[in-house]
Amino acid sequence: MAGPKARRTDRPSRTAVALAFGIAIAAAVALVAVAVLSRNDSSSSPPTANPVVDLAGIPQAGRVLGSPAAKLTLIEYADPQCPACRLYSEEFFPTLVREYVRPGRVRTEFRGFPFLGDDSVKAYRFLLAAAEQDRLWNLAEALYRNQGAENSGWVTDDLIRGLAAEIPGLDVDKLFTDAERADIRQQAESAGAAASAAGIGGTPSFLIVVGNEQPYAVQFGSVDQMRAALDDALSG
Amino acid sequence: MSDRTLSATAGIVALAGIVVAAYLTWVHYDEGALVCVAGGGCETVQQSSYAEIAGLPVALLGLVSYTIVLGLIVWDTPYARLGAAALAFVGLAFSVYLLVLQLVVIDAVCVWCLANDVLIAPALAVLTALRLRT
Repeated sequence: MAGPKARRTDRPSRTAVALAFGIAIAAAVALVAVAVLSRNDSSSSPPTANPVVDLAGIPQAGRVLGSPAAKLTLIEYADPQCPACRLYSEEFFPTLVREYVRPGRVRTEFRGFPFLGDDSVKAYRFLLAAAEQDRLWNLAEALYRNQGAENSGWVTDDLIRGLAAEIPGLDVDKLFTDAERADIRQQAESAGAAASAAGIGGTPSFLIVVGNEQPYAVQFGSVDQMRAALDDALSG
Repeated sequence: MSDRTLSATAGIVALAGIVVAAYLTWVHYDEGALVCVAGGGCETVQQSSYAEIAGLPVALLGLVSYTIVLGLIVWDTPYARLGAAALAFVGLAFSVYLLVLQLVVIDAVCVWCLANDVLIAPALAVLTALRLRT
């Protein structure tokens, strides 16, 4: 380090200091301007009302999608508001359905962990109500594709009504009636505590259950990693 | 505070900035680490359209900036001090912008981002500015 004496004689002039901070202010303004102008605003794209993943013809029973005879059950703990859950739904769920669920090798069970806020609990109430009509997975997939900013009030009745109307076989009026039921409200509001009690710390979290064996946890990292985890469990 | 202590403290704060920015850069690129956890919010912030500038992750820009500031602190010539203070000032100004985004626009707060915006960036700006006076 240079000594104090050397620093005093070499200290930058007032002009140099003013120039440096002038440049710093200009750089900060330019940085913010570039950040604003280069922003990739995905929210400006129109919402997708129709579920993209084709679930037609696949058995659904309550919160479970897939054949009851499937060798493997993939349990998913999810929050409809969680961006990581949306990522899983968009990136792996189509593969899961096409390669594992539709052929009857795997069934998947949705367990809510609505911990992020009021929109989470409301969305989960409607998912449970959709489960009463065996359409939970259709609505979940549609909600992820229309996910809004966390706790912004994006889970509106209008949004759900619009999405639900596009789901074949779903009675929209019954959906709204069931979502207000005391038992479904209680189930949605206590789901977070139940998931925590089961040792779940975040979403999405997955458990693989093969037959009567002990469940074990897997984490979603990529399509290939998840595919490998399922293949490994199925071949065991 | 002596000049030596001031420099050492600034160096430690810059190092803390490097650690936080490196973690956030890793989270940005590693999808496997994207799990929503209670009290988190990093996922929302990191996946928002504000997490990148012209294709570059904001966290990576922070990592590079903190590394340069640390280098200038270690170099410790009068003009290196001025450079460190100016760059730390840019970092502080941009951190204020990011903080406003989290609180007002994205409506989600990332704990690690908050640690940077409220503690590390302001502390580094003050410490590097104080070094100009010694």
